[in-house]
Amino acid sequence: MIWRKKGLIFNPSHYKLPNNCKEFAQSPQVIVFSDFIRVYFSTRATDPSNGKYLSYVAFVDFDLRFEKVLNVSSNTVIPLGNLGCFDEHGIFPMNVLKEDNRILAYTCGWSRRVSVSVETSTGLAISNDNGLTFQKVGTGPIFSSSLNEPFLVGDSFVRNYDDIYHMWYIYGSTWLNETSKEPPARIYKIGHAISIDGYSWKKQESVQIIPDKLGIDECQALPTVIKIGDTYHMYFCYRQATDFRNNPNRGYKLGYAYSKNLQDWVRDDANAGIDNSESGWDAEMMCYPHIFSVEDDIYLLYNGNEFGRHGFGLAILEKN
Amino acid sequence: MFKWKKLGRVFNPVDFKNTPEWMKEFAQAPSTLEFKDFIRVYFSCRPKADKNGQYVSYSAFVDLKKNNLFDIIRISQNPILNLGKLGTFDEFGTYPVSVIQEDKQIRCYYAGWTRCESVPFNVAIGFGISTDGGTTFQKQGDGPILSYSPNEPFILSGPKIRRFNDKWYLWYIAGRKWITANGNPEPVYKIRMAISKDGLNWEKLDKDIIENRIEENEAQASPDVFFYEGKYHMLFCYRYSSEFRGKERGYRIGYASSIDLINWERDDSKAGIDISEEGWDSEMVAYPHVFKLDNKIYMMYLGNQVGRYGFGLAELETK
Repeated sequence: MIWRKKGLIFNPSHYKLPNNCKEFAQSPQVIVFSDFIRVYFSTRATDPSNGKYLSYVAFVDFDLRFEKVLNVSSNTVIPLGNLGCFDEHGIFPMNVLKEDNRILAYTCGWSRRVSVSVETSTGLAISNDNGLTFQKVGTGPIFSSSLNEPFLVGDSFVRNYDDIYHMWYIYGSTWLNETSKEPPARIYKIGHAISIDGYSWKKQESVQIIPDKLGIDECQALPTVIKIGDTYHMYFCYRQATDFRNNPNRGYKLGYAYSKNLQDWVRDDANAGIDNSESGWDAEMMCYPHIFSVEDDIYLLYNGNEFGRHGFGLAILEKN
Repeated sequence: MFKWKKLGRVFNPVDFKNTPEWMKEFAQAPSTLEFKDFIRVYFSCRPKADKNGQYVSYSAFVDLKKNNLFDIIRISQNPILNLGKLGTFDEFGTYPVSVIQEDKQIRCYYAGWTRCESVPFNVAIGFGISTDGGTTFQKQGDGPILSYSPNEPFILSGPKIRRFNDKWYLWYIAGRKWITANGNPEPVYKIRMAISKDGLNWEKLDKDIIENRIEENEAQASPDVFFYEGKYHMLFCYRYSSEFRGKERGYRIGYASSIDLINWERDDSKAGIDISEEGWDSEMVAYPHVFKLDNKIYMMYLGNQVGRYGFGLAELETK
C-alpha cells in the first residue's frame, strides 16, 4: 500500500458548528452519496457544570473529489444520552453504514466515572432522513462489557460481507494504577464480533485479533476495514499506555494488518504505506483512520496532532 | 392468599461486637442455601462509611441451626467475594448475592457496584463459583455476565437465580431512568427476567414483568420466585421513587403469580405480610426471600432502613 497525502482538508475552527462546539473534528467517517460525500466527525463543547468536554457528532459535506466544502451541519445530528446513560457525556466516534432505506450508526458513548475517568459502550441509532438525524434504538447500548471484556467497549466499525455483519471494536483489558505523574491509564485491544441482523452480536470474547507491537501495554484503537480484490485490509492506530499526549515517540501512529478470511490477521505495519510527516499538522501524531472508496479511488481520512483538535486530513491510495 | 406469621429478627449486625471491620453495618438481601446440618444465609454488609459518607458493600453469611433458625452457629470471617479491580463494574460493592447449588457446584450471581460522576452509581450482574463449599466464590471474569442493553440502560441489580424445568431463570431489576428529587438523582427500576440453558449465556425477556401499582415511577426490587401448590409465586418489594427513606413511601412487599413463569399477575393483597405496629420492621418490609425447610415455608426479609439493622424471619401459615 502506498498513500499520497493530500493534507488537512477540514479545520473545525473555520466553521460554525452545532451544539456550541468549537474545536476538534475527530474520527472522520463517511457515507458516499451519489453527488456528495458526507463526513461525520466528533467535535467538542464544554460542559457548563464543570468545564469538562462533551463530544458531539457533526458532519461536513464535500464534493466527490474532496475539493470543496458544500455544507456543515447546523443542527444536532444525534443527542447525547439522558442522566446516567452510557452516552451522557459524549459520542465519539460514530460509525455509519448505509443500507437500502436506512443508515445505521454505531456510536461509542462516553460516561464519566469516579475511580477512573470514563466508561464506554456501543449504541445503535438509525437514520431515515439520509443521515441528517439519527434515532437511538433505546436509551442503553447494544454492545457492552461482558465477563472477559470488563470495560471500555467501543470504537465499533461495522461492515457487511456475504450477508454477515462484522464488527471490529476495542475492549479494555486493564486500567493501570495512577502514578505520581498520571491518573489511571487504560489499555485496550481490537476484537471482533459477528451478527446476522446488525443488532444482536456474538463476540469472539476477549480474543485480541491484532498482535501487539509495543508489548502488552500497547493501546490499539479505531479499526477500519476495506476489501480490495480478495484481501481485507485493516488500518488502526496504536500508542503507548502512558505519556502519549505530548511525547511524539509514545503517541498514536497508524498500524496495518491484512487478512484473506476475516479470521486470521497478519500485522504488517512496515507496509502501511503512510507515516507521520516531517513537520506540520500530522508530524507528531496520526490516529483515527477511516478507509473507504469513491468510484475507483480508495481514500484514507485520519487525524493528526492533538488527537484531531485541528481537524482531519486525506490521503489517496496510489494505483499500481 | 398467603398469611405469614412473623417470628422475629434473626440477625442484627449491630448486636455483634466481634464482627470484622467490613461487617459493621447492614445485613441486606438474605439468600439461603441448605446444608446437611445448617441453613446458610448469605447477605450483604458494609464497613463504616468513609470520610465522604460513602459506603462499599461486601457479602457474607451466617449459619443457622436447622431446628432453631434463631441460633447462629457461625459467622463468615471473610467476604465471600473480593471487590473488583480498578475500573471494573464491581470495584465498590458486591450486593446483593443469590446463591444456588446445582449438581455439586455452588454458584453465585451478584450485583457489582461502580461509582459514576453525574449519578452516584451503576450496577451490573457478575458471576462466581465456589470450590470450598460456599465459603468463598471465585469470579469467572473481571466483567459482568449480564450487562446493559437498549431497554435496560443501567442498574442491572438484585439477581435471583432459580432452576425450573431444566432451565436457568434469572430475575433481576433494570434501571429505567434517573429522576431528580430534591436536587438528588434517584433511580427508577423495574423487575425483569432472563432465561438460559447453561446459566452463562442469557436471553433477556426484554420487558417489565410486574405492572406498576403505586405510581409510574414505582421502584421494584427483590423478585423472589418459588413453586408452591401448582403455580409460581413471586414476592418482591416496591416503593415510591422519591422520599422513600421513611415509613410512608418506603418499601413494602408485593405479590404476583404465574403459571408459565413469563406472564405474571400482580395482586399485592395476597402478599400476606406488612409492616409491624412497632419495632425493627415498623417502617419498611423489603427484600423477601422464601425457602423451604422440613416441609415448612419461611420468608427472610429486611425491615427499617432496608436492612441497616438486619433481617428477620416469618413462617407461612398453612390453611
